[in-house]
Amino acid sequence: MALDRLNVALHASATGLLGANGAGKSTLLRCALGLTRPDSGTLKVLGFDTVTQRTEVRRHVGFMPEHPCLPADMSAQDVCVSLARMRGLGRRDAVRRTSEVLFAVGLEEERRRPVGSYSLGMQQRTKLAQALVHGPDLVLLDEPTSGLDPAGREEMLAIVRRLSVELGIRVIVTSHVLDDIERTCDEVVVLRSGTLAAQRPVDVEHNPAGPAELRVSGDVGVFAAALEPRVSGLGVQLAPTAAGDIGLSSSPDEALDAVRDLAAELGVGVERLVPAARGLEDVVVDAMGGRR
Amino acid sequence: MSEPTAMSGPKAVLHDIRYSRYGGTLRPRRSAVASFVASGIRRPLGLRRSASAKIWPFLLLAVAYLPAVAVVAVPLLIPAVNVQPTDLIRYPQLLTTNSVVLLAFVATSIPSMLTRDRRDRVLSLYFATALSWVEYVLGVFLAAAALLALIVLGPMLVLFFGSIATADAPGTWFTDNVDDLPRIIGAALIVVLFHTSLGLAIGSLTSRRVFAVGGYLAVVLVGPALTGVLTLVTGDDWPLSLDPASGPVRLGMSFVGLEIADPGPLAWVVWLVVVLGGLGVLAGRYSRGSDA
Repeated sequence: MALDRLNVALHASATGLLGANGAGKSTLLRCALGLTRPDSGTLKVLGFDTVTQRTEVRRHVGFMPEHPCLPADMSAQDVCVSLARMRGLGRRDAVRRTSEVLFAVGLEEERRRPVGSYSLGMQQRTKLAQALVHGPDLVLLDEPTSGLDPAGREEMLAIVRRLSVELGIRVIVTSHVLDDIERTCDEVVVLRSGTLAAQRPVDVEHNPAGPAELRVSGDVGVFAAALEPRVSGLGVQLAPTAAGDIGLSSSPDEALDAVRDLAAELGVGVERLVPAARGLEDVVVDAMGGRR
Repeated sequence: MSEPTAMSGPKAVLHDIRYSRYGGTLRPRRSAVASFVASGIRRPLGLRRSASAKIWPFLLLAVAYLPAVAVVAVPLLIPAVNVQPTDLIRYPQLLTTNSVVLLAFVATSIPSMLTRDRRDRVLSLYFATALSWVEYVLGVFLAAAALLALIVLGPMLVLFFGSIATADAPGTWFTDNVDDLPRIIGAALIVVLFHTSLGLAIGSLTSRRVFAVGGYLAVVLVGPALTGVLTLVTGDDWPLSLDPASGPVRLGMSFVGLEIADPGPLAWVVWLVVVLGGLGVLAGRYSRGSDA
């Protein structure tokens, strides 16, 4: 079963779907497009039911598949005009919109060459252009950086980010690569075996004086006992962490100075002094590995 | 050309081609399907493609139209020739003459209308945001039928309207022969629908063009041999009704010219089975809505 009792609402302007192969990312996109009918439950896209209101979904959604899907003997211009017309645009609008989207993805110079003669990066940009040509409110991008070289990947990530930030189009991106999601999305959703493993914003406000974790060389208990009277007056409580380190309830500059001075006095090394708040990577790795 | 003046206003307009959201209204679905049909007609003819892609289809078109154009052109260009084109070549003869051209055109163009889309994997793109599978099958069928009508119906219409133009009393000739027009169209429909359905059904079963072309040729070349053997063995004409190459042409000839013996009800049954069966194969193949 590709998706199993998945219950999730996506409201961010750009959402990244992360998960290992077979986690259900592409199946979720297929369900969102109405290509796969759920055995039970409902799925709504922009308020439209994907089973009973497929026409409306088609009208408002653009889709960029992961695999090659462009007619090799047609030019990017003809592909976009043709798909725009199939989606209901008149000829004049289709030609105008094609010029706009090919310009937006940086293909205006090469638009009359057959797609079969394009590099992989240009084909990816053509796929993105066709997804935008009818002016969708939402675009679904399935692995948009798949197979691209570093330069092509940078360009594609910049374009994808521009969609939600500058052009106001809501974006859902699937990827295996956390870095791609961090750079293009506002929220990340992690799928594991067809279920929701995690959902959280990409950017979490970092408090520099927040809880911290301290690891020192030598006897941790002795160091903690010596440190406690120096920081208790600052309102900082000490407690052991699950990993056996020293947990600080907060980390104002005075408390960090006290740690530094005590380490110098006792001749021990500070091996690790980091914020206790967990980063996106930790959350994603835990979620993909089975821990919430 | 007059010089631009301040009174006549600017002659050049700068267009902002940056991406913007599309705010226009979408056209009805029939407009989208019509656009798909037009695109489906252009591609097998090599239009908007390289010159080499146009050679074969236009060569076949030239061969198909040559007899009709010749018998119309001679009385038109040489006043001394006072003969009606329909006296030189009759509609059933034209239908028979063009049957070989028709088979060649179908084999090389019709199945590949479907195999090409599967090879390029564009179906997931079409079905996701552009067309429903019903619209796709309808569009491809209409495009294929229109292409075959160019081969089958076009020359007979040239003969009909050419005969009006060369007649001593065009108005009288038209009123005397207007009954031919529905019979011409009916005969062409019989042949066109049969080969459209057969060619597309075979094309839908594989993504390899060579297999589709080979499959169609096998049916239309092996079929006559088998029915010929059956005719010899049984000593009767009824096996000719099973011939996929000449069967529909015989039906068309009987419809338009009444010059041959009635092909019998079996021929109509075979025709109906192939046309409806082909549509059934197409529906079964594409209702899944995927490239697979």
